[in-house]
Amino acid sequence: MENVIAFRGVTKKYLITKGKHGLLIDTIGENLFGVFNRKKTHSGNTISALKNISFEIKKGETVGIIGRNGAGKSTILKLISKITYPNRGRVEVKGRIGAFIELGAGLHPELTGRENIYLYGAILGMKKKEIEKKFDAIVDFAEIRKFINLPIKKFSSGMYSRLGFSVCVFCDPDILLVDEVLAVGDVYFQKKCLNVMHSFAKEKTILFVSHDLAAIRKICSRVIYVERGKIIKNGNPRQVIGFYLERSKNNSSEL
Amino acid sequence: MISWFYELWEFRELLWALTLREIKVRYKQTVLGVLWAILQPVALTLIFTVVFGFFLKVDSGSVPYPIFAYSALLPWTFFTTAVSFGALSVVNNGNLVTKVYFPREILPLASVGAAFFDFLMASLVFASLLIIYHVHITLSILFIFIVVPSIFLITVGISFFLSTINVLFRDIRFVVPLVLQIWLYLTPVIYSSGQVPEKYRIFLSLNPLTPLIEGFRDITVYGKFPSSFHIILSLLISLAIFFVGFWFFKSKERIFADVM
Repeated sequence: MENVIAFRGVTKKYLITKGKHGLLIDTIGENLFGVFNRKKTHSGNTISALKNISFEIKKGETVGIIGRNGAGKSTILKLISKITYPNRGRVEVKGRIGAFIELGAGLHPELTGRENIYLYGAILGMKKKEIEKKFDAIVDFAEIRKFINLPIKKFSSGMYSRLGFSVCVFCDPDILLVDEVLAVGDVYFQKKCLNVMHSFAKEKTILFVSHDLAAIRKICSRVIYVERGKIIKNGNPRQVIGFYLERSKNNSSEL
Repeated sequence: MISWFYELWEFRELLWALTLREIKVRYKQTVLGVLWAILQPVALTLIFTVVFGFFLKVDSGSVPYPIFAYSALLPWTFFTTAVSFGALSVVNNGNLVTKVYFPREILPLASVGAAFFDFLMASLVFASLLIIYHVHITLSILFIFIVVPSIFLITVGISFFLSTINVLFRDIRFVVPLVLQIWLYLTPVIYSSGQVPEKYRIFLSLNPLTPLIEGFRDITVYGKFPSSFHIILSLLISLAIFFVGFWFFKSKERIFADVM
């Protein structure tokens, strides 16, 4: 199978600025006038979210990414969806991405459910005709038919997330990125989502970031464990999760 | 740069969707709704007519002062609305920028697009004013197809520029309204450039909006044909500001999500 995602020696640094004028000085020096000089980058002012990471994901794989908060999981997803760019190394991605990174990012509270489906669909890269065709399926999957003409600020948070997830599922991406979104919504809807992802998994590539290890074990064919910007383990879900749990136990006993 | 335009074209449906969102959201839960688009230039025209037309008796030539003022306030209001919203567009849509990929220039473009909708609405009032005051319209009005796109391009260019800087320095939020207020008085909107003492007129011509705003007034209410030199020059300046703004925006676009 061909690679759909490949990270080759990827390093991502974020600029940390000190004080009010720190940003002014740094950005004028490095960004605004584009005189970006690698040697001059003060190492004290940056933190490395990812350090020289390499991995590949093949078509049809369902890969879970686990690790503690701040380990770099979300940065990996952001690099894949071209929201941010690496400082070093290359990120290669093939195919349409359904970036389902945070719920409701593209939804507007003042607009109706119907308007939001069109808006969110467009944000996820769907054509209007495509949305029209799938409109009923989206509404039914989200179970919001009764409320479709209400502004979604009147929606419950569960309805919000169901709407968002449904549009994303039906936008039919080649690669689906899921970042801890199932935390919202009731158990019933979570199950439904996992089922959809399951049925996806055969043909699509899914990247799944979560702290829900049970869900990861259930749907992933491979797990990558990240810690402090480095890949610690990459392989069989049971082994990697076991290793992660073991390691967390040791770490917490150290504290 | 061609690839930028190509990508923008690929995302045209998103641009359309976000423009619609901006228009809809702006007037949701307002009583007067779209009437606000008309009321702004109308209210300003009334005020300026009272102060400058009636009290100070500014010379408006062959047409009544309200027509004189409205014909400039119409494009001016478009410019200020577009730039005010455009400058904040990237930051205000931070949740999109940090979560979904799309060419970011769509955000300021959508703001300008929504302001252009207001401009079209307010143009209806302008058309009725022209009829009510029996303004003699000549073929010169066809030049709006050059002047209006020029105004559009310069507005987009400035919005690109400001929205980029606003990502890095939120001071822009405070700077823009102030500068726009001053800029209004430095542009022949409530007066004409002919009323400015000759030795200061050079400063007026440094303002890229001068030929556009006056040009709009000349071709609509005075029926004057602009000189081809002027029309080409201001089109070129608008294009230059548009391209430089676009280039600046695109060259900084990649760091937007990191600094927000």
